[in-house]
Parts: sequence; C-alpha cells; structure tokens
Amino acid sequence: MFKLDRKLIITASAAAAVALFTLGCNGGETGTTASTKVNGKATIDGGVTYPVVNGKTGPYYVNPQVAQVAPKLYNGRVPTANELKAWDKDIMPDGTGLPEGSGSVEDGEEVYDAKCVMCHGDFGSGGGGYPALSKGNAYDLQKTLTNNRWKDPDADGPTRVFGSYWPQVSTLFWYIKDGMPHPFSKSLTDDEVYALVAYVLNINEMEIDGEEVDDEYVLDREKFLKIKMPNRDGFEPNIAGPGALDRVRAYYADAKNFGGQNLHQGAERCMTNCQKETAKTKRINGGITNFLPPMSDVRDLPAVKEVKVDPVAVYKSTCAMCHDSYLAPGSAEWSGYLAEGMDTVYAKGIKGTEGGMPAKGGTDLSDANFKTVVDYITSGKVK
Amino acid sequence: MNNKESQKVLERRDFFKKTAALSVTAIAGTSLVSSNARADDPAIINNVPWGQKWGDPVTKNRYGMPSKYEHNVLRRNTKLLASGNFRASIAVAPIQESMGIITPNGLFFSRCHGGVAQIDPNEYRLMIHGLVEKPIVLTLEQLKRYPSVTRTHFIECPANGGQEWRGPQFNSVQFAKGFMSSAEWTGVYIKTILEDLGLKPEAQWMLAEGSDNSEMGRTVPVDKVLDDAMIVWGQNGEALRPEQGYPVRLLLPGWEGNLCVKWLKRLEFATEPWYCKEETSKYTDLKPTGKAIQHFYANEVNSTVTSPSPEIDWTHLKDGDIVEIEGLAWSGMGTITGVDLSFDGGRNYVKANLKGLVLPKSWTRWSYIHTYKKGEVLQLTSRAMDDAGYIQPTIDQEVSVMGVEAVYHRNAVETWEVNAKGEVNHVQIRS
Ligand code: HEC
Ligand code: HEC
Repeated sequence: MFKLDRKLIITASAAAAVALFTLGCNGGETGTTASTKVNGKATIDGGVTYPVVNGKTGPYYVNPQVAQVAPKLYNGRVPTANELKAWDKDIMPDGTGLPEGSGSVEDGEEVYDAKCVMCHGDFGSGGGGYPALSKGNAYDLQKTLTNNRWKDPDADGPTRVFGSYWPQVSTLFWYIKDGMPHPFSKSLTDDEVYALVAYVLNINEMEIDGEEVDDEYVLDREKFLKIKMPNRDGFEPNIAGPGALDRVRAYYADAKNFGGQNLHQGAERCMTNCQKETAKTKRINGGITNFLPPMSDVRDLPAVKEVKVDPVAVYKSTCAMCHDSYLAPGSAEWSGYLAEGMDTVYAKGIKGTEGGMPAKGGTDLSDANFKTVVDYITSGKVK
Repeated sequence: MNNKESQKVLERRDFFKKTAALSVTAIAGTSLVSSNARADDPAIINNVPWGQKWGDPVTKNRYGMPSKYEHNVLRRNTKLLASGNFRASIAVAPIQESMGIITPNGLFFSRCHGGVAQIDPNEYRLMIHGLVEKPIVLTLEQLKRYPSVTRTHFIECPANGGQEWRGPQFNSVQFAKGFMSSAEWTGVYIKTILEDLGLKPEAQWMLAEGSDNSEMGRTVPVDKVLDDAMIVWGQNGEALRPEQGYPVRLLLPGWEGNLCVKWLKRLEFATEPWYCKEETSKYTDLKPTGKAIQHFYANEVNSTVTSPSPEIDWTHLKDGDIVEIEGLAWSGMGTITGVDLSFDGGRNYVKANLKGLVLPKSWTRWSYIHTYKKGEVLQLTSRAMDDAGYIQPTIDQEVSVMGVEAVYHRNAVETWEVNAKGEVNHVQIRS
C-alpha cells in the first residue's frame, strides 16, 4: 500500500493514479461512480471515494493540466531551524517534544490557585460550563466507564475526566502548555506546567511507577515518561504502532463496530413494520429551552435604538446634490417655506413634495433624525 | 413557531389562510371565487410606501445585508453549550429557514475552543513539515497561487443531535439538527501540494494545528490527505468568515467538523498519531463495553424533516391543503441515493423524492407532497441512504451497539409529531 501511495505522490501521473483505484459501481439512484476501495484496500472511514474517471471526480470536472504541473509547484520556501523550533511544539506519548524541567505538587497547587481555580473550581471539581479536572480516584472511576444509562435512565453514568478516561498523559502537558489558562494561553513556563501536571495527577489520586503522587511529589521528565494512564487500553480501533491504518480500515469496514446499518452488509431497507414491538413514543421531559435569542420566525421590523446622525454629513452625502443649487443650508430662499411654520416644513420634507423633494430626501432616516437635518438645512446651523 | 408572537402575525396568517384556501378551491374547480364576498386586500388596493418613494441609493450598502425584516433568522446558542464565556462553545444554524443546499456565510454554524480568532492575513503563515522531502512555509498569497478546486460540502459537528441519546431534549430543528451547515468551498487539494513536497513512505499520520488561542489540533490518517483533503480559503465565493477559520482552514469532506481545523497554521507528517485533547478527552464515543471509539472520522448518513418542524408548524393549514414536506439528507461517507418518509414514526415508509443537485458528501434536498387532513396526528420520520450502502438505523438499532453515553455520531432516525392542532413536537420512537 505504501509503495503505491508514494508512487501516487512522488512519481505517478494522474492517469496512472486512476488506474490504481479499484472501481466499484455503487451508483444507486444518483448514478455516481463511487469506490469502497483504494489500491485494493478498504477506505479508511468505511465510506466511498470518487476516483477521477473520464476527467471527473464524482460530478466535478478536474483540470488535467494540474497533475502535470503539480510536481513542479513549490510556491513557498523552506522553514528555518528556528521557525521549526518555534512552531513544532507538539508533545507525543513517546516523549517527542517533551521539554526538560520539573515541578512539585505543592508548586502546582499554588499556580492552580492563582491561574486555574476561578474556572476549574476547588481541586479541579469543575462546574458552570467548565470541565472538571478530577472527580476522585482515577483507578476507581475508570471502572465507571462501563456504566451506561441505556436500560435505566436513573443509573449512574460513566465519569469521564482526565484521570479516568484520557489514554495519554502527554495530552495534558501539551494542552496546558498550548491552550491554558484559557484567556491567556502559552504563558506558562515548562516548570509551571510540570507542577500543574503533578497537581492534576495528585487530585486524581494517581501513582507513577508504583509510587503515589502525594503532596510532596516532584515530577520531572523522566518520571513523566513512566506515567501509565488507567484507561490507556480503553479505545478502539488501536491506532498505535505499525499496521495502525490497516486496523482502522478493518474497523470501519464493519458497520457493526460503530452502530451502523449497511445494505451491503446484510442490513435491510425495511418498508413495513420497521419498529420493534416494544418501541413507544418518548416525549420531551423538561428539555432544553433557554435559547439565545428566543426562537421566533416573525418577520417585522427589529426594535433598534437609532443612533443620532451627523446632519452635516447627511446633507453632504444626500441632500447637497439638489440643495447646493437651490435651498442651500441657511439660504434666504427658505423664508417662503419657513413662513408656513416648522411643523409643515418637517411634514412636507418627510412626505416629499410634488415640486421635486423626494420623501425624506431619499433617505430611510427616522423622523427624529431627518428633522435634525431639516433644522440644519433651513438654518445653516447644527443645533 | 415559538408560540404566537403577536396578534399582528395571527392576523397576517389569517389573511394568508384565506388566500391559500382560495387557491386550493380554485384548483379544485369550485366557484367559491365569485360567491365568496371578501374584503379587498389593502396591500393591493393602496399604494405601498416603498412603491412611491425613492429606494436606497446603490451606494448605500457596499457590502449587502439581509432585509431588516429577516432579523430573526439567526444563529442561536443555549447556555447548556456555553462553556468558557462562549469561547469554547457553539452557535447553531437556523436550518429551518435554510433553502437549497448552501448556508449563507453569516448563518453558518460556529464552533470554537478558544474564541473566534481574528487573523491578520498579512501575518498568516502555513507550515508543512515532518516526513516530507521538502518542508515548506507559505504566505497566504503563495498558498492561493496553487491551482484551486471548488467543492460543495456540508460541515457537521459530530455532536449534532448528541444531546438526545437518552431522549428528545430540544423542541427545535435548529438545535436538534443545526450543528451543521453547507457551503461551496474553494481551495487546494493537499495532494497537489504534496506532489512536490514528496511525502516519505513511512508517513502515516498528519497533525493539523490551528493558530487560535486553543491551538486546536487533530490527527488525520494519510489516506484522507491523499484522497480529497483540502486547504480552503474560499466560502461561497468570498473569503472564509472568521467563524469558519479565516483566512485558511482544513476541509476533510464528510468528516467531523472538529477535524476540519480552522485558522490552520501547521501540518506535520509522522509515523505515529498525536493524541490531541479533541481526539481523546472529547470526540471519542464511549460504548456500553466500556471501550470508546477513537478516530471516528466520517459523519454517517443522516436526514431530517425541516418543514414541518417545531419552528415551522402546520397550525395555519386547512383541511385538504396540499403541502410540501421538505427536508435535508446528508452523508459524510458518500452520496445520498434515496430518502424514505414515514408518517407513523418509522413503522412504515414510502419513498420520498430527491430534489436538485445530488452531490457527494453534501446536503441533499428531498420532499414529499402531502394532502393535509385537519386534525390528523402524524409522526414524520425520514430515513436516508448513501452509495456506501449505509441506511439510517432506528434508535433501538443504534443504541443496542452504542448505548446512550457516546455523545457523538448519533444518526438514528428522528421524528416530529404533528398533533391534532397542527403543532409540531420533537419525539423519539424507542424501546
Ligand atoms: C477563564 C477560564 C479558564 C481558566 C482560567 C483555565 N481554564 Fe482550563 N479550560 C477552560 C475551558 C473553557 C476549557 C474547555 C475548552 C474546550 O472545550 O475546548 C478548559 C479545559 C481545560 C482542560 C481539559 C479538560 C478536559 O477534560 O477536556 C484542562 C486540562 C485545563 N483546562 C487545565 C487548566 C489549567 C491547568 C489552568 C490554569 C493554568 C486552566 N485550565 C485555566 C477554562 C479555563
Ligand atoms: C432630488 C433632489 C432633492 C434631494 C436629494 C433633496 N431635496 Fe429637499 N427639496 C428638493 C426640492 C426640489 C425642493 C423644493 C420642493 C417644493 O418646493 O415643492 C425641496 C424642498 C425641501 C424642503 C422643504 C419642504 C417644504 O415644502 O416645506 C425640505 C425641508 C427639504 N427639501 C429637505 C431636504 C433634506 C433634509 C434632504 C436630504 C436628506 C433633501 N431635502 C434632499 C429637492 C431635493
């Protein structure tokens, strides 16, 4: 598989790449050319892919020139060693990327109380939309992962927190270093992160190499690499080590693994009597209703507080084109109009006149705002 | 609709009821038209305000906005999903108002883990390194010089419907199914860039990392990278919106929205996977066996009725009205091949009809024409199929394997109950 893939990337032309796909025709009612196999292997996600056939992938045309020029396209530059160091800071389970350093539970508690407790609560208890960092003894709580409220809704559910659930501790170091504290991330030193990790292990009542992470414990890189998470084998498919991608492909090739129903794997398109005898109508009990903003499909004008406009600016942008030549701001020509009284002038301006004044001068200003422009145009002054 | 906003609306509805009834009987050939003495519609008889005065100048909106009257068509939140002062949170799309298979950019659902980053495109850099022969740093302008492709795909948060494993929770299609949206994306296939960089044979996994405050990262298997994975900068014909990762995001067609890393800054190739927070602590599906599925990539085949729905009810319909039942179907595993519709909560099905473009890993419209009987009680359930062979499970089927604690990837059929008054409520049919 990998030799073939590399060919695809390094040497093969697009035409050769097409030949590598195994075509299966599952077109169904919509008649697309889909394949559940790539290079003779199952797809990675259990779905189909659309190899380029007759110049198209599925319904989309593909410009064939692109494949020819792609091996020559290098639009950027090589990163410098310092640039790589600045950005390549991920931490992997085998210790790749894990810096040297150390920190004690005691120091960790201090940093936690200064920078984390306001969100994550005392001893990582969480709450108010903030995740808990501990719910007690990690080893005991790991056993709750088989709790499932599917038969008894009132039963205890599983407890998924760092200690009981996470497969790798590298995630904790990496995430705290990169993402916490939430409002000001990437601000902790490596020693502070070691201390915080030690503290989080402590409140999860964990041990390292048979030794309890007690209040006196000091964590360093060497000890960190010995941490074994209680739930490290709790995930499927197994993605670690050689052959991982084959295991993932095999997992998703079988709908039973993930609760799917596949018509090519024995499922049925049932048209009559498709529910179990025991199935009943379950209605919302309480439910979640605090929608922001409240649900509505009304189409009316929104209630908005209008902001005051600058009369001179409005005049310049919309009135001036007519009024600069006639009835300019403060001009004597206004006297005839003003004689009718200001209310009439406002009213006529709002409604428009047959003599050529468009309603509100063609603006959608509120009456109040428009009146301030009329005040300006008739007097030449801003009130 | 959220109950009876105002008298005004009811009056308007009354008016539309009359017209609707009128047109139906006209089609049926009866002569109600002449015998029915009705009031003239002032909206026709009188001059309307906008018909008599200048409209806005074309200079007014340099970037156009929706009509003011559409102000209730909005992304919405709930406090339940409001972690971190709405910085590790989600705003869901009003799919009840959605038309066709494209979500307008301003309504596209928005999910983030450290707030919506506002990135200066001039300072934007993308680094691709690790197990490649030639690593690379690209500016935005350099990235966009690669030959582009444009594809229509939905993006769905795998927690769409995830609050409802143990029973219905949201009396709303916006909240029950709106953790997703769809757009036409423009960008470059990663495999096109890799043609020159040269992936080393031992590379199996790619880390994709965002440059936002949470540095959101995910591990992607190379299979996807070499298939249809894209680096995108265009969304419905314009630059990505900040909420969708401006200026650049990863797009893995059909896969978990969370995998489509926004504000993308770095791609690294390696032999081993990474174990990021969002693929261990979260986005893993706990089964009753106590084992959790990790690396659950694709959003499985799914569908929903969008009209009627709790938001768009049938209280205004009269006996005998002909109405279109409409919905969406989608699959991250392939192309929708068909949708079935049930009127009795998934006990019996008829075939519904697909409408418009049917594209791979895309929203697909379907509909069914129904003649409404006043007072009827219906349980509308849709069920979609895709060209990978998947068909939506019943709730009982899905729960029997996944239990009710999985949080993510729930794709069992969903039911809206139309009661005798025409109100629509979210129910589930399950043992
Ligand atoms: C302003 C609030 C806030 C502060 C302060 C804060 N955090 Fe967090 N933390 C969060 C939020 C919100 C999340 C969830 C983020 C998400 O959903 O992606 C989180 C997630 C985490 C997680 C992952 C939990 C899980 O189970 O997934 C860890 C670990 C963590 N924080 C550690 C820390 C540490 C250590 C500090 C102090 C240095 C800290 N946090 C400070 C808000 C905060
Ligand atoms: C298309 C040209 C045009 C524009 C634009 C225009 N006006 Fe006028 N306006 C006129 C004309 C012509 C008259 C005289 C109308 C008449 O005598 O019947 C007038 C008259 C008026 C009057 C007096 C109305 C009355 O009869 O008492 C007011 C007040 C006024 N304009 C305000 C404004 C303001 C404020 C604006 C900008 C917001 C504006 N106009 C923009 C053409 C315009």
